[in-house]
Amino acid sequence: MSLYILEGLKPWVIQRVSAVYISLFLLYSLVCGMTVDVVSFDHWRNWLFHPFNSIAFGLFVVAVLFHAWIGMRDVILDYVHNIMLRMSVLALIVGVLVGCGLWVIRILLFSMVGQ
Amino acid sequence: MRFNIYRYNPDVDKKPYIQNYELKDIEPGMMLLAALLKLKEQDETLSFRRSCGEGVCGSDSMNINGVNGLACITPLNELEEPVEIRPLPGLPVVRDLIVDMDQFYQQYREVKPYLIVKDPVPEVELRQTPEQREKLDGLYECILCGCCSTACPSFWWNPDKFLGPAALLQASRFIEDSRDQALEERLENLEGPFKLFRCHTIMNCVQVCPKGLNPTKAIGNIKKKMVTNSL
Repeated sequence: MSLYILEGLKPWVIQRVSAVYISLFLLYSLVCGMTVDVVSFDHWRNWLFHPFNSIAFGLFVVAVLFHAWIGMRDVILDYVHNIMLRMSVLALIVGVLVGCGLWVIRILLFSMVGQ
Repeated sequence: MRFNIYRYNPDVDKKPYIQNYELKDIEPGMMLLAALLKLKEQDETLSFRRSCGEGVCGSDSMNINGVNGLACITPLNELEEPVEIRPLPGLPVVRDLIVDMDQFYQQYREVKPYLIVKDPVPEVELRQTPEQREKLDGLYECILCGCCSTACPSFWWNPDKFLGPAALLQASRFIEDSRDQALEERLENLEGPFKLFRCHTIMNCVQVCPKGLNPTKAIGNIKKKMVTNSL
């Protein structure tokens, strides 16, 4: 961990592994969605709260957040050279991504309670 | 044949400008460097570097019609008119087509471009098998002309932090060398967000290398080596 939250080889590997996982999960979701007779909210909720799908979806969200962080961080490192501005923009992006993660957790919790 | 050439003498000019030239006595098979030498006979103030004239020394690298290359191995009959000639992009201009390559050489030095052997030096030469030697093909031929690094957008964006394709190709050349004993240190030196990992596989370096080398592949091999080494 550092000023840039992961640097060097680790983010490079995470970016590639997360890309593969995101692709596989989207493909799996697409296949699941195409093989059901009726598409409804209740059906989606039942599908999501199947233990396997819950874990897979949780990992998907984590993968998307890390992938987005590393991609955005790369763009900022390339283009924003003023150190104070760079740190501010990076902090803003971390805030937005953490917010998105918390939002997903909130949605899932409400859906669970609803079930 | 018409030429538009970037001119700038910081002692005299307030800002750079483009000067138009015309050369009449073009000979068949003539290279751009020969044309520049003829233009220099017309205008002695025109400045550029050159030495071997055979694509070996890498002195006469410049931006030719928007693409970096060596003037001495660029045939005139392959160039569209007017031929626009500028200094290598991204480096400070000393005068006309001459750029300050201090930073480029500093980055080259940073990868320690020499064999590091920790064992006592043997009395005979350090031997390699033909297979081990083959791994250096495509890596050792670099002439340090700077065409690749100065064509790389990542180098333009972070010239003081990203090492650039030329230095990284040299890093790969010693990482792959079976006689070198500093693999860990070399890989450790390239860690961090800037030195190596600013390469986004844009591949401008591959497009412009006058020796036909592939720095992008070499950089990819360093990353793979880092992964296997960390497992």
